[in-house]
Amino acid sequence: MPIDANTVRKIAALARLRIDPGEEGRYVSELASILTYVEQLQPLDVSSIEPTSTVVEGPPTPLRPDRIVPCEVREEALEQAPEREGDYFRVPRVV
Amino acid sequence: MSDALTDRTAESIAAAVRGGEASAEEVARAFLARADRTSKRLGSFLHRTPEQAIASARAIDARRAKGERLGALAGVPVALKDNICTRGVPTTCGSRILEGYRPPYDAHVVERLRAADAVFVGKTNCDEFAMGSSTENSAYFPTRNPWDLARVPGGSSGGSAAAVAAREAALALGSDTGGSVRQPAAFCGVYGLKPTYGAVSRYGLVAFASSLDQIGPFARTARDTALLYDAIQGRDERDMTSRPEARPVSLDALEQGVRGLTLGVPRDLLAAEGVAPEIRERFEVASRAFADAGAKIVDVALPHAQYAIATYYLIAPAEASSNLARYDGVRYGLRVPDLDLATMYEATRGQGFGREVKRRILLGTYALSAGYYDAYYLGAQRVRTLIRRDFTEALRSADVLFFPVTPTTAFGIGEKVDDPLAMYLNDIYSIPASLAGVPALSFPAGFGPTGLPIGLQLVGRPFAEETLLRIARAAEAWGDATTRAPAIAREGAA
Repeated sequence: MPIDANTVRKIAALARLRIDPGEEGRYVSELASILTYVEQLQPLDVSSIEPTSTVVEGPPTPLRPDRIVPCEVREEALEQAPEREGDYFRVPRVV
Repeated sequence: MSDALTDRTAESIAAAVRGGEASAEEVARAFLARADRTSKRLGSFLHRTPEQAIASARAIDARRAKGERLGALAGVPVALKDNICTRGVPTTCGSRILEGYRPPYDAHVVERLRAADAVFVGKTNCDEFAMGSSTENSAYFPTRNPWDLARVPGGSSGGSAAAVAAREAALALGSDTGGSVRQPAAFCGVYGLKPTYGAVSRYGLVAFASSLDQIGPFARTARDTALLYDAIQGRDERDMTSRPEARPVSLDALEQGVRGLTLGVPRDLLAAEGVAPEIRERFEVASRAFADAGAKIVDVALPHAQYAIATYYLIAPAEASSNLARYDGVRYGLRVPDLDLATMYEATRGQGFGREVKRRILLGTYALSAGYYDAYYLGAQRVRTLIRRDFTEALRSADVLFFPVTPTTAFGIGEKVDDPLAMYLNDIYSIPASLAGVPALSFPAGFGPTGLPIGLQLVGRPFAEETLLRIARAAEAWGDATTRAPAIAREGAA
């Protein structure tokens, strides 16, 4: 599965990542070499093998009780905002 | 006197503070003075917190004066990797996108260490978002190896490993996703433990690859590693992967020796190309010593471990691309203004993330995208099952597995920075245990011909951290691997 500048632009757009056009070539060659390396998995017949999404074994991890706990960090959290307006995070125009 | 304090183990410092032989303030000042001399040259810390350290040390001394019983880490200076959230103290993950970020809460491990009366001395340097094996991917500055300043300390938790090796802190925490605690521990000649997946809560650890991330301790002795592990392990309801099976290590049990234990050696993995002769030699010397001490050494097979790097570099970037979607310039961290919301996201992320992080986000997005998901991400998850089964099988006939941590000793700064794949291949021995979720310990096993440290690895059954530390503890008797200090840690000493 070849990877070219178009593919890099497409996945960068999906990832909301601005890539400097001068850097596209470098990403193409680096990603191509990594993808060539991972091709070694393709010959393995794993169609009958269950995928591992978590390594946790044994009984399900106990659920915590669903209870209300105070979270008194609103001001501290809002102070971290690049731009705020009152008790809101402010963002640029959406539409 | 102050240098004598920085050479002491965490265990003896805590005992001295509890018994009134040394004050927590005196201990804190000794370590802070040492870090004053060396931390800038080493690049070990992103943020030092000397004032807070003195203040908390004084509070501990005041509580002792009132007759209060102090915790297991009373007055012990601890450094924290900068991807562990500390309330009101900068937490940047070595990234520009989190420059100036001060979390409004403490990570679970930070709460636990505070409760044990540890003293925090600062946040350590790391590869950006823990992505790297050399700490050269920090957006701020690289960390240098205390044994040779022209070499890397390993990574991604390179700052924590360097700080402990250079006696700037008695203990440190890092995080290990594919070897980020064990590999820098090996390069810097200290202990590094990756606990069983689920043994330590990640609440407040900035997420990289959630099916792999674990917080782990750095220390200079097996007993100190156990002390720090004991303080942070255990169930926490705020991390859905935190397991009730986790249990503390008994310090007494570490003194039992290796007699009766079976160590499995994966010969196929050891035969890999590119393993340096000094690593092989150290491994063989240690194997013979374990056998002489009464352990049984058997051969085991990990037939799918050869696929671990390829599997990891699909799974970890895929999970990272999802976890790092949260850095959008809205609620915290960097914002780069642009025309509208969507272009603001792109500009912020384009400028705020470094090259390695962008590379992995691109790779992960690709592996998860329509048309490639089944072949790449799902395929890798299936191979991961085969790798896990290998470990389960091998750990039936052996109590632990024994092999190197890294194929070479610490490499030079700049040596691999332009070749991401070469950097990834260095992780061949650390990644398999991460994929299997089992505990793995890097312990100092001596030095190569040029004086660089060599680490060896013990991998155990789930929640068998105690067995790993017990075996490493036995190895401490054989040489000066855990007592020799780098020259930089001796500078200015009387």
